[in-house]
Amino acid sequence: MRIIYEFGKKGRLRFISHLDLQRFMMRALRRTDLPVAYSHGFNPHPQMSFASALAMGWSSDAELMDIRLTESVDPAHALEQMRAALPPEMPVHRCRLVDDKHPALMARLEMADYRVELAGPDAAKIIAGIDGYMAEDTVMAVRKTKSGEKEVNIRPLTISLKAEGNALLMRLMLTPEDTLKPDLLLGVLAQRANAADYESAIFRTALLARDDRGGIVGLMEL
Amino acid sequence: MTLSDKIDSLMMQVEKPVRYVGGEFGSIMKKPEDVSVRYAFLFPDTYEVGMSHLGMKILYHTINKREDAWCERVFSPWVDMEQKMRENDIPLFTLESRTPVREFDLLGITLQYEMSYTNILSALDLAGLPLRAADREEGPFVVCGGPCAYNPEPLAPFVDFFVLGDGEVSTHQYIDVYKAWKASGRPRGDFLKMIVGIQGVYVPSFYDVSYNDDGTIRSVVPKPGTGAPALVMKALVNDLTAADYPERLIVPYGEVVHNRIMLEIFRGCTRGCRFCQAGMIYRPVRERSMERLLELAERLVNATGYDEISLMSLSSGDYSCLPDLAREMVQRFYEKRVAISLPSQRIDNFLADTLKETQKVKKTGLTLAPEAGTQRLRDVINKGVTEEDLMRSVRDAFEQGWSSVKLYFMLGLPTETDEDAMGIVDLAEKVRAVYFSVPKTQRAPGFRVTVSASVFVPKPFTPFQWCGQLGAEDVIRRQQMIRQAISRLKGVDFKYHAPDLSFLEATFALGDRRMGDVLERAYRLGCRFDGWNDQFRFDLWLKAFEETGVDPDFYATRAKALDERLPWDHLDAGVSKEFLLCEWAKAQRGELTHDCRKGCVGCGVKRYEGACV
Repeated sequence: MRIIYEFGKKGRLRFISHLDLQRFMMRALRRTDLPVAYSHGFNPHPQMSFASALAMGWSSDAELMDIRLTESVDPAHALEQMRAALPPEMPVHRCRLVDDKHPALMARLEMADYRVELAGPDAAKIIAGIDGYMAEDTVMAVRKTKSGEKEVNIRPLTISLKAEGNALLMRLMLTPEDTLKPDLLLGVLAQRANAADYESAIFRTALLARDDRGGIVGLMEL
Repeated sequence: MTLSDKIDSLMMQVEKPVRYVGGEFGSIMKKPEDVSVRYAFLFPDTYEVGMSHLGMKILYHTINKREDAWCERVFSPWVDMEQKMRENDIPLFTLESRTPVREFDLLGITLQYEMSYTNILSALDLAGLPLRAADREEGPFVVCGGPCAYNPEPLAPFVDFFVLGDGEVSTHQYIDVYKAWKASGRPRGDFLKMIVGIQGVYVPSFYDVSYNDDGTIRSVVPKPGTGAPALVMKALVNDLTAADYPERLIVPYGEVVHNRIMLEIFRGCTRGCRFCQAGMIYRPVRERSMERLLELAERLVNATGYDEISLMSLSSGDYSCLPDLAREMVQRFYEKRVAISLPSQRIDNFLADTLKETQKVKKTGLTLAPEAGTQRLRDVINKGVTEEDLMRSVRDAFEQGWSSVKLYFMLGLPTETDEDAMGIVDLAEKVRAVYFSVPKTQRAPGFRVTVSASVFVPKPFTPFQWCGQLGAEDVIRRQQMIRQAISRLKGVDFKYHAPDLSFLEATFALGDRRMGDVLERAYRLGCRFDGWNDQFRFDLWLKAFEETGVDPDFYATRAKALDERLPWDHLDAGVSKEFLLCEWAKAQRGELTHDCRKGCVGCGVKRYEGACV
């Protein structure tokens, strides 16, 4: 049996690194009465995984954590337990019990939605340029990876890009092979618009997958 | 932009933002309008160091238990953050509510280490407060406690009052008076007069200090009309079982030095090692009952999710029912996979076996602290350990599968000779021989002995308070003698440091009010985080001494006459001066003083009501 929690990481907690979050969650789980399954070996630890690491500095309301349990639990109780174990700036939105055969979240994650709030004198210039960007076929940008820098065409990795007031709504690819991060896209848009004087705040609003018929659904709904 | 937004805007520009984030699980939030006293508690070092400190956890808990007060934490911003804060006009702020420290009622600072003093000045400055207490007309009262408060004089110009001894009760006493003072609308100076009667409270501005022609102190006397006592007695909590102890803890996000449950099983130490200030100032020994400890352990495990409990004290092996406690803990927490740990020294085999099952620590390191290389010198310092004891511990460890041993020593102990120093090499050699005498099939591979030698710093309220520190030349010469001799021993490493830092530490440990000028000068010259190797600027410190005309050797290396008035003689740490004098005389004769559980040694702490009954 597994349980998937959807939770947020907001406010000042956006500056907690992913590694620190993992360690923190291990301790949080020990504050609950959930029948968490532990790994074997010299240093047993809870069997848990995150759908995707969130970069330091970004907020989110859509993080997913997948925990293996040794037996089934009442979801309402599990929700209440996790809420009590986390601080207010890590709100737990919902949870779902799935069986062991349920696909691994990480394997099915395909794209993510972001809301990028813009402020400052040049914000409007950036927003004005998004139609131009979407009309291109090829936009080359340098992506930093663990193995170094690589020039990639980011346009096909941009599923959609819209403006809503002073915010950009982005739907971007997020798979091991094809990933476009919102800060990279924002940088490209700013460069194209010749914008330098602006501030931004990045929120992840959804983690998405494709269902059996190829439609886009929330990763949690799979 | 709010202060909080300004802080957030710096987070991606500094190293380890987790130091400044706050909002950890277990941190206490209250509404400012619901409390009448706001208390900022500063640990004058980094978050990682401060969050590992038990005293802060205890005071945070006991203050926040009050409905009328809110205690919040502050740590020294690392140099990168300090610079950014200054560039962006961000004042020193608390982690909980991100409120500027200058808006608080009280600013409590713990003095764990002399080399954090420049960070205190930096904190006052960042808070927007004048450094000198006399120049502060508003803002929080600055109160300092902790072990270094037993010689508060170098900090006297900057601090409104000190509290000596245990904080569990005295903190509430002065908070109560603060409330009454605030409600009364009386002038600022009156508050200090209202607290001088509280046991443990020392108000330095209420004393006149005069000096002899040779620079030594002539007198320290209370100013008339202040009500300040001629001798300040420390605050003492007699019943530790009944005393407040945290039942929940703040669980940090980032890794901190000690990221586990710390359970203080007793306070004080009965052994009487003559170099050890903690062993003197925390007297008498007070144990927490086993029932209370088990109850606390249960609650803390549930409240924090930690998987390790460390049984803390100055000498945990001396807890009167340690085997029972350890066995019970191991049994109760086995299912929850909570490891129980305690210092590996002086653990008998049975206990080692009990703990082995749950201890997460790999079997690699055993730490022993012989402190001195020869029996003669170990007798001088009253370290009741013989070479036989040491070799037995080491043999046991090697036979049980340990392969590396750390040995801690001090260089420059009183009466030390070159022969004593070379005794360190001799011991290391014998440890090596023990390892190779264990049959190859029984011992673990990977033999390693790490010999560390720190430089001895004489401390107030110890029998060595009159001793001068060994000069740098002799320290370096002995370090080199040892280094050369040890380099011939395969598998043995020697670790040592330049004596500069210990020398500076001694000037503050043994210094008087005139050191305050040196401190301020060094701070102005840019000294910060002096205890951190990469930040320590001995050259700037020497410049500060030179510019203020203060001779560091007067405090550090000069031996004091037994009838000289010492800077802390108007304070009482529990042990009497007669006892310290007697111990110093015995030390010079190489005579031992037995552990006081085997009979009272007359240290003087019985002068305190309810102590040692």
